[in-house]
Amino acid sequence: MHGLLGSEAAGGESRELFLLAELSQAFAQSLDLDETLRAAADHIIDFLDAEAASVFLLEGEELVCRASSGPSPIAGLRIPRTAGIVGKTLAEGGWKMVRDVNADPDFYAKVDTETKFVTRSIMCITLQAGDKRFGVLEVLNKRDGTGLFSDQDLQVLRVLGTAVSLAIRNAQMAVELMTQNRMKRELDLARELQQQLLPKPRQQPFPLAGINLPAREVSGDFYDYFEVEGGRLGFTIGDVSGKGLNAALLMVRTTSLLRCLGRAGLPLPRLLARVNAELCETATRGMFVCVFAGLFDPRTARLTWANAGFPPGLYRTAGGRYQRLKADAPPLGINTDTQFHEHHLHVGDGALYLCTDGVTEAHDADGKPLDEAGLRRLIEQHAALTPGPRLTALVQSLRDLSRKDDTTLLVLEGREQAGERLMDLHLPAQPESLRRVREAVAASLRKAGCSPAVVDRLVLALDEACANVIRHGYRGTQGLMDLVLERRGESLVFLLRDYAEAVTPARLKPRRPSRSRIGGLGLHFIDTIMDHWEHRKPADGRGNLLVMSKKIG
Amino acid sequence: MNRCETRDEHGYRVVTVAGEVDLSWSAEVRAAILAGLDAKQPVLVDLAAVSYIDSSGIASFVEGYQRARKERLQFGLVAVSAPVLAVLTLARLETVFPIHGDLAAARTAAPRAASA
Repeated sequence: MHGLLGSEAAGGESRELFLLAELSQAFAQSLDLDETLRAAADHIIDFLDAEAASVFLLEGEELVCRASSGPSPIAGLRIPRTAGIVGKTLAEGGWKMVRDVNADPDFYAKVDTETKFVTRSIMCITLQAGDKRFGVLEVLNKRDGTGLFSDQDLQVLRVLGTAVSLAIRNAQMAVELMTQNRMKRELDLARELQQQLLPKPRQQPFPLAGINLPAREVSGDFYDYFEVEGGRLGFTIGDVSGKGLNAALLMVRTTSLLRCLGRAGLPLPRLLARVNAELCETATRGMFVCVFAGLFDPRTARLTWANAGFPPGLYRTAGGRYQRLKADAPPLGINTDTQFHEHHLHVGDGALYLCTDGVTEAHDADGKPLDEAGLRRLIEQHAALTPGPRLTALVQSLRDLSRKDDTTLLVLEGREQAGERLMDLHLPAQPESLRRVREAVAASLRKAGCSPAVVDRLVLALDEACANVIRHGYRGTQGLMDLVLERRGESLVFLLRDYAEAVTPARLKPRRPSRSRIGGLGLHFIDTIMDHWEHRKPADGRGNLLVMSKKIG
Repeated sequence: MNRCETRDEHGYRVVTVAGEVDLSWSAEVRAAILAGLDAKQPVLVDLAAVSYIDSSGIASFVEGYQRARKERLQFGLVAVSAPVLAVLTLARLETVFPIHGDLAAARTAAPRAASA
């Protein structure tokens, strides 16, 4: 710097350019504002041959000296924002030069008195970005004989003022960026903590599975499931009004309350009433929480449910019929007098789909909202899959949609969990195999503790199912069939898989036998003997899967 | 042990079935019943030794019954074993077919031909 400035021959304008270049570089390299400003003050007094230089920045109603260079440094000094020539410069904008301070009524002598510095001449320039003035750069006393600044000094100061303004603006933006980064890190942490609050996926077989896809760093949605005394499972899914951190904090509070009180086995109307009272007392700014809560008994596949302002739950029977479980109470956190009601549903082999608004308000590639009908189509599309892969497929479809809101999905499966395997038979699909089918099924059923009468009937149903595969599936061609018997809770489930041409489900109509009709009798036996049966497309898309179930014991 | 034997007795075609009647050979039972009716003989099916029967076996009885009505010939099930009766009941056909305790009862229960 000194070397460059030493070459007087380079001329005044070049010297200014050099200084500007030096300062700009220093400013660009440092993000520490105070350090940068002090270096700037040093350069400025050198260059202008001044005794002192200070940078004042506006903080509220005060001007604070952030950097100072000279015999009596005043960094940290605070003066009223209107005080002295500095204050007047800020108020009026532009620049001021006072050749003799003693003759100027605006001079603020207090600082001199405190620092023992004798001010004779002052140059001030406003620091600003756009229209926004945020400080003043002040230079005191020319070192040469007169102690007074020249017009040329003022021109230089005006150029330097612009550079310093930009440097300050950059540094402030850097600070804001760092603050933002810090906040982002904290939000990431909040998100991580929030995700940890969601229940961990359980070892299969387990009837509940959920997913939460936050639209932002943190989510106002939640779902939860937990063991309740008496072998039941409690679950909740909810949506807090609003988004962002407030909603996330309310979500954490609500889910904790629901879990804590729900675990104790409180009946649902009382559970919701307690949490509602708590939220009414403490919820802020009109925030509220939509909740669907359930108690499921895996042994009987019975569900008790209550819906407070949550979108209708979609219950799909194994046969593909739908039932909507609608809210009959307002959301929690609105009215302390709200009455909540519980309802019952035999889930059986069906499944219950619970989704927050984010799911049905998602948009497809054409910008059309998914809505409830769209959601049903998605469910149907994946209905043939087993529960685990079905949820994965549903979530993948939801991910493909454009989502503006948090998206949360909880699925309750009746009894379609993998059960204890009692039999696994692979046979050629030919009439000669039927005897082996009957023997193997009878042996397995006897071992499972079925009474002789039940054994006889189930053997008939399985024989008929296999005969159907042979006659109508393979129609005399060669092929294989797999027959699996599982115990799921109190039910026996029979899975008969073939690799023949896919059957049109409409063709599978049991017919009440009559004097005049013979066809459909086998299916009539299956229909009469089994509690439930359905034809499905296997997950790999080949052949047919007949699923039959019978409650025993 | 699966067996399907035919004999003519007192003007009746008696089809005696034994064992487990399923898709693998129920066609044999069907053929025996229809052969009797084709020969214009009343048919009695003895089921005393049947330990299992499926819908294809039941279907052969339904077909026999229908053909017999058309031909105005007698058709009946005789000495129906418990397993067969259970399946007939399941099919709600236990009151459709004439069921007789033994061959003698079948012969006295109804004329040999529906037209007679």
